[in-house]
Amino acid sequence: MKVVTNQLWDKFSIEFLRNQVLKNAYGNDDTVIAKIDPRTLLIWYVFFGVLPWFMHNPTLLLGLFIFVAVTTRLTKVAPLVLFLFCFGILTQSGYLLIVSWFFGGDLATLGPILIMTLKVAITSLASITVFSGLNPDRLASGLLWFGCPDQFAFSIAFAYRILPILMEEFQNILLSHRLRGKSPNSIGWRGKFRYLIYQVKIIMFSFLPLMLNIAKRSRTTVEALELRGYRYANQNKIIKKMKLRQLGMGTVDVYFAIVSIIWLWGCFLIV
Amino acid sequence: MIKITDLHFTYPGAAIATLNGVDLEILQGEFIAIIGNNGSGKSTLCKTLNGLIPNFIVGEGSGSVTYNGEDLWKMPIGEIANCIGYVYQDFENQIVCPTVSEDAAFSCLNYGHEDYVKKGLDALVLCDLLDKKDDYIWQLSGGQLHLLALAGALALAPDVLILDEPIAQLDPAHATQMYETLKELNEVHGKTIIVIEHHSEYIAEYCHNAILLHEGRVLWKKDARSALRECQQLIDCHIFPPQITVAAQQIQQKSGWKQDQLLPTTIAEGKKFFEKMGILPDFKVRQEVMNSQLAIQLSNIDVQYRSVKGESKSLFTNFNLKIFAGDKIALIGSNGAGKTTLMKLLVGLLKPKSGTIMLNGTDVTALRAEQIAAHISLVYQNPEQMLIKESVRADIEFAMKERDIANYKQQAQALITLFQLDAIAESDGRLLSGGQMRRASLAIGIALEPPILLLDEPTANLDIATRQEIIRTLDLLKDTIETVVIATHDMQLVCEFANRIIVLADGEVIGDGPREVIFNNQAVRRQAGIEPPAIYQMAEQLGGSAYTIAEFVQAYQKELCV
Repeated sequence: MKVVTNQLWDKFSIEFLRNQVLKNAYGNDDTVIAKIDPRTLLIWYVFFGVLPWFMHNPTLLLGLFIFVAVTTRLTKVAPLVLFLFCFGILTQSGYLLIVSWFFGGDLATLGPILIMTLKVAITSLASITVFSGLNPDRLASGLLWFGCPDQFAFSIAFAYRILPILMEEFQNILLSHRLRGKSPNSIGWRGKFRYLIYQVKIIMFSFLPLMLNIAKRSRTTVEALELRGYRYANQNKIIKKMKLRQLGMGTVDVYFAIVSIIWLWGCFLIV
Repeated sequence: MIKITDLHFTYPGAAIATLNGVDLEILQGEFIAIIGNNGSGKSTLCKTLNGLIPNFIVGEGSGSVTYNGEDLWKMPIGEIANCIGYVYQDFENQIVCPTVSEDAAFSCLNYGHEDYVKKGLDALVLCDLLDKKDDYIWQLSGGQLHLLALAGALALAPDVLILDEPIAQLDPAHATQMYETLKELNEVHGKTIIVIEHHSEYIAEYCHNAILLHEGRVLWKKDARSALRECQQLIDCHIFPPQITVAAQQIQQKSGWKQDQLLPTTIAEGKKFFEKMGILPDFKVRQEVMNSQLAIQLSNIDVQYRSVKGESKSLFTNFNLKIFAGDKIALIGSNGAGKTTLMKLLVGLLKPKSGTIMLNGTDVTALRAEQIAAHISLVYQNPEQMLIKESVRADIEFAMKERDIANYKQQAQALITLFQLDAIAESDGRLLSGGQMRRASLAIGIALEPPILLLDEPTANLDIATRQEIIRTLDLLKDTIETVVIATHDMQLVCEFANRIIVLADGEVIGDGPREVIFNNQAVRRQAGIEPPAIYQMAEQLGGSAYTIAEFVQAYQKELCV
């Protein structure tokens, strides 16, 4: 039992989260999806994110679902993201079902709820494919191409750059609390509850020191960005063009588009 | 090349000027060190050269700074960046892109150089990082990160490079690599290099000239060797000259023995100097007795790390170690050898995949970190992360208060007095200087009087004067805390503090014993990249052994004074 709880605890550790975040962002840059041009993927995403909401045929939706499930599989997404996805889908449909029964629904409500769930699932999986499959820099360049402000595009890439540092800092501050503070005894249900409250409390207390430490660090970063010409580049259109020159569509993009279209067409044919 | 005349600068809101009439000339191709105690204006001076002052940091300034005759303060910051590169002391915050090649090319791209990719790669070649170009930055070690920060600045091909404490966080092997890189840039590529440096051994070895800055003024500019011979003046400014110079000066003073030769600054010079004295020093060998009561026992430990890509990596395989009560252990080894992992294991932050950890005879393998926190305490490398309350006093009191220790207030006060924190006890720890923050973190770490204390790099990132102060503070701990383990690169600290040295390499103990054993073992020294302190190397050259300046001087005193 002890071992099991330790393993469970391990899964919720910041270290694990940090690893999963990194894995999700950068651990899959050798997949097929990662080789596709970010612009192709973004267009693809708009299509697959919107289309399901205008379709009602379960077979068609199921076809789309299988397709995005395959693309998600191809991105080698981190297990934590998949877990969150399943958890989200199940709880959402579960609660809809319970609410509908509460208001006098019967088994017949199950059908529409399933269709609804399928639509949400398709959109979510398409998002996972695009946002996990692309590493943040490529995503940022893609967004930049579509005219998104540079500050926003840069902050996506930069957030991933400092996220690991941030999480490590947070982890260490939490540890300071845990090691020096006195955690309540976690025996029995009341103990477990007390322990949970305690955990939440120290997480809250850790935020202020975290913010202060980050503020201290960011001073250098801000100065360095200035020195390294970040602001200068922002005011210059030619440099933006140079940045985007590294994007390029290739055969992978063509294949990906063809496969997507054929699959969709096939689905429509079957229906 | 760079000419500074009567430069004054005051930060907004500051009562006194940080720069107070600096006059300085730096020539093309110079390799120059700026020395001075904390707060003497070194970093500020450098920031006036890279355009951050006055373009980005506003304040009151007067005087002139010219670069090849052009007024630097009138140039746009982008133009300055193409002439003068800057590497920060906290270099990791200077790196803004996730991959190595991108970060190296970042500035070139921003300033619109068409061939930015090539320029980035060229800079990586200069810094010997080309084989890492596709790596993500968190895969790099501290030393490599520092080289990357340098590459990022180098990519713009500036003629001048300014580095703020380039080796503060590096182990000796990487520090030497850093300076060799700088030397090559200077000699082969003709770059002018300006370093802010505390390590006088490196100044003696690599720099041509040195500038002493004191209270915002340049006291002098001399060639590096003669600069370091100004022992007394340097010590008055809280800068420590090379160990060999200090030892030679002390021997001269104590013996009254005069010789017209100049004080030595490097080992080669020292050899001539001491041999000329014609006295055979009497180096005594000290043998410490090992305590026999077991405090910690690690047996058959396996540890694995999750990696971002692919399989977990195994760091420790069948690892065994015994630590005895009363041990003062220095844990050494290059970056990534497993020092931090071992410390995490000991305090229970990391659980081994298999194996057992016994603490004072109890099996603590499965216990949570908070359950053993009262018996073993860890002081982090980064003291900011130990400061979780609004004031230093509250931080020291915190652990005792939580554990309902009755007279916690008095005990905290006693610690504050012991660590000389009275004047700053009520301020937020983050605003303190590096040394003060470190002292505070030590006081916090021992508040619960743990029988075992672990310290991760207690002297990293400190100037030498503060380092001496911390080493003295650690001496205070010797009586309070029974068993101490210090993970460190600082060989002076190792020599002055430890009675047992454990050398780690790739997750294995490759050397274990008193300093006499470890430093005499050439194979271990090579494998772990250990560079003994200069004073030891000096004594070694003279056919004896001494680990501290005091021991070295004593060896001569016996001969001279009696």
